[in-house]
Amino acid sequence: MVQGLARVEQIYQDRSQRAKELKAGGKSIIGYLCSFTPVEIIAAADLIPYRIMGNVKQPIAHADAYLETIACPFTRSCFDIALGGGYDFLDGFVMPHACDNIVKLYDLWGYNIKHVYAHFVNVPHTLSSASFEFFRAELETFKTSLERFSGRQITTEELNRSIQLYNEQRALVLGLYQLRKQDPPLLSGTEMTKIIVAVMSTPATEANELLRGVIKEVEGREDGCQKKPARLMICGTGNDDITFMEMVEESGANVVIDDLCFGSRPYWWEVEESDDPLASIARSYLEKLNCPRTYRQSPGSHQEDLENRFGYLYEFAKDFKVNGVILYILRYCDTHAFDAPDVKEYLQGKGLPVLEIEGDYPTPSIARLKTRVQAFLEMIG
Amino acid sequence: MENIFKAMMEGPKKTTAEKSTETAKRVRRMVKGLAQKAHEARARGEPIAYLFIASFYDDILRAMDLVTVGTENYAGLCAAKMDAERFLSRAEGEGYPRYLCTYATCGLGFDALRRELGEMPPGAPDGGMEFPTVMLGTGMMICDPRYKWYQAAQRYTNAPMHVLGLLNPPVYYTHINLEEVRDYYIKYAREELKGLVDFLEQQLGRKMDWDRLSEVVDLTERTAKVWYEAYQLRKAVPTPMSTEDAVNTMVPGYFNMGTQEAYDFYRELYDEIKHRVDNGIGVIPDEKYRLLWGLSLPPWYGLVLFNYFESLGAVFPIEVVYHPPLPFEIPANVTDPLERMAWRFYDGFTHWYEKAQKHTGNPWVEWFLALIEEYKIDGVVLHQAMTCRTIHTGQLHQIKVLKEYSDIPVLLLEGDIVDVRNYNEAATHDKIDAFIEVVDAYKKGKQS
Repeated sequence: MVQGLARVEQIYQDRSQRAKELKAGGKSIIGYLCSFTPVEIIAAADLIPYRIMGNVKQPIAHADAYLETIACPFTRSCFDIALGGGYDFLDGFVMPHACDNIVKLYDLWGYNIKHVYAHFVNVPHTLSSASFEFFRAELETFKTSLERFSGRQITTEELNRSIQLYNEQRALVLGLYQLRKQDPPLLSGTEMTKIIVAVMSTPATEANELLRGVIKEVEGREDGCQKKPARLMICGTGNDDITFMEMVEESGANVVIDDLCFGSRPYWWEVEESDDPLASIARSYLEKLNCPRTYRQSPGSHQEDLENRFGYLYEFAKDFKVNGVILYILRYCDTHAFDAPDVKEYLQGKGLPVLEIEGDYPTPSIARLKTRVQAFLEMIG
Repeated sequence: MENIFKAMMEGPKKTTAEKSTETAKRVRRMVKGLAQKAHEARARGEPIAYLFIASFYDDILRAMDLVTVGTENYAGLCAAKMDAERFLSRAEGEGYPRYLCTYATCGLGFDALRRELGEMPPGAPDGGMEFPTVMLGTGMMICDPRYKWYQAAQRYTNAPMHVLGLLNPPVYYTHINLEEVRDYYIKYAREELKGLVDFLEQQLGRKMDWDRLSEVVDLTERTAKVWYEAYQLRKAVPTPMSTEDAVNTMVPGYFNMGTQEAYDFYRELYDEIKHRVDNGIGVIPDEKYRLLWGLSLPPWYGLVLFNYFESLGAVFPIEVVYHPPLPFEIPANVTDPLERMAWRFYDGFTHWYEKAQKHTGNPWVEWFLALIEEYKIDGVVLHQAMTCRTIHTGQLHQIKVLKEYSDIPVLLLEGDIVDVRNYNEAATHDKIDAFIEVVDAYKKGKQS
């Protein structure tokens, strides 16, 4: 079997292949949306978590009759694939309360796509002590539902082993990002996106092995990316496709760090092991997963609020020696769009030029976006 | 009735609908009164809170004598006065895209302009929104802008903000056993309500009077009851009060709940509707079709469309949106006012759950079907507000499920809540004309 980046490419081109093989071998595959789904619990039940994604190149064929065009285009694409039978290999699906769009999609998916198992994980928006307690109780309900579906009890030891496995995965991904700190980086943003997509489509044990192989291969590279004047960070919403990233990198920039759903967002933190693993998962997902859907209380003035919410982005920018930022927000993503003026103000206040792009899914004319990106890169110099 | 058609002929400046009940006609004065109360509070240096409707925290604010400004209401008012565009454009200029909730962008644009001017934007409807001392958002499952809007507004107000976490079980695709989750959902709601009390005590330097809160909760429950009973009277034929009145008569219930004024309002509304029913006074003289306004926010700049329906013989005896709370029993051993509020919230989102579980699988459709039967409905109208994903995604699904259980005609109009640029009046009228023909055929078919 091919290893490293060649295997990543293989999975990226046909990402459901491995899940279908596992299903044929008797495993149950649980599709899920969004970084807020606690995959540790699914895996602890000996089920295979499989990230649901869209297809940026496939026009909407079925979803228009079910889901309004004012809904998030990414979730519409995911649903469209499901309506066309593209997710028939899933045994079940899990959606977390991330945003209004996913809440609505859960209803439609459950009604129209008949998987054996379905569950909605409710996630609080706030970080109060009551929210942590509630979320822990909700995860207990989730665990119970998985136990009923799988016909087996999930023990504390199994949960902790699963936490270890995913913490290892997060550490490996983090390790890969470190290889992008040097100039030029050893790994491109395009390659990183493919790796993340591959990891999210593969059982954790195999994905970790794959990551180890990729790290070894990339570390051994004598020539990574070409040196370019712009070192960019891309922040914003989910994009599981390389088209935009590739265009940016072909336009004269190296994308060296990101804050994206199919990027660093699900990996830049870990879950603590404890005697109460569900409480640990609840606390980590709620507190550490940086997404505008979670409200963080302002500590005082507006400037302090910006620092509190976006300080980690500036840390990224410093660590990875970034000289420009692209804020990529999919149309109809309300939570990110409400934050956009604040993010721009904060980063520009730190001396970082910011280009805001309103994305769509499927991606519209990439040529039009390219003109804007090129103009931005010229400005950065 | 002549007034209605005269109003329609007055030209495009007319945005609000001609109302039938005298009680509804008083609402505009009440809205002005709420704005005036805020202006006076500001002049006295008293605290003011930005408030979202249907956030289930009103009783706390009343018990703590906190003057409120309903920010969604203000955006609707700006739309009705055709004075929203300057605020929407300003928000767009500030970087908030046009597809965002236009209640929010109208409010953000207003806040941005007020900050820039250092005073109220000139000629702002009802004297403008007063500057908030605190902003009270809610992290609910119904609307992300309920916390993102005020978080964004902090750049213009710098006002302390509190987000109250209120979650309900997923009410759409019904498969969970409520008995297994109810206790921790209610406990969470109760604790978050307590968190709001703590926040307000700290910010306002006032202590909650818990006896007073209990009285307010009682008053709210009594008010909800009389409001519900008044609307039950609308089952009569001819319909005594239509939706164009209801989008006004919701104001005390959604912006001034927990007050004697709200209770008295609904008592009077009850009496007036009762009088109309007893004397056979309908909204229009020749009522041909009875329609249900589904789960849709109205186009506030174009409420006159209800009169257009009436010109074709169609009335709306009932609506799903802005409906009073449905009656339910709080367990007798629950006496803590915060817990009573938590139960009210929980029931509000799970009321139709178990019925839906056994039938359509969709609580909204379950409610539609009940209303169609109880109010003798001939057609259903929905309005898709292009900037509101909260309520207006899922409508196609509601229609699809409804069609599985009923052959009733359904119309889906397109527009927005605030932004008139998303609305085409001529196309809307064409759609309504065609729909009424379908309703007519459906009704004749039913009768034969």
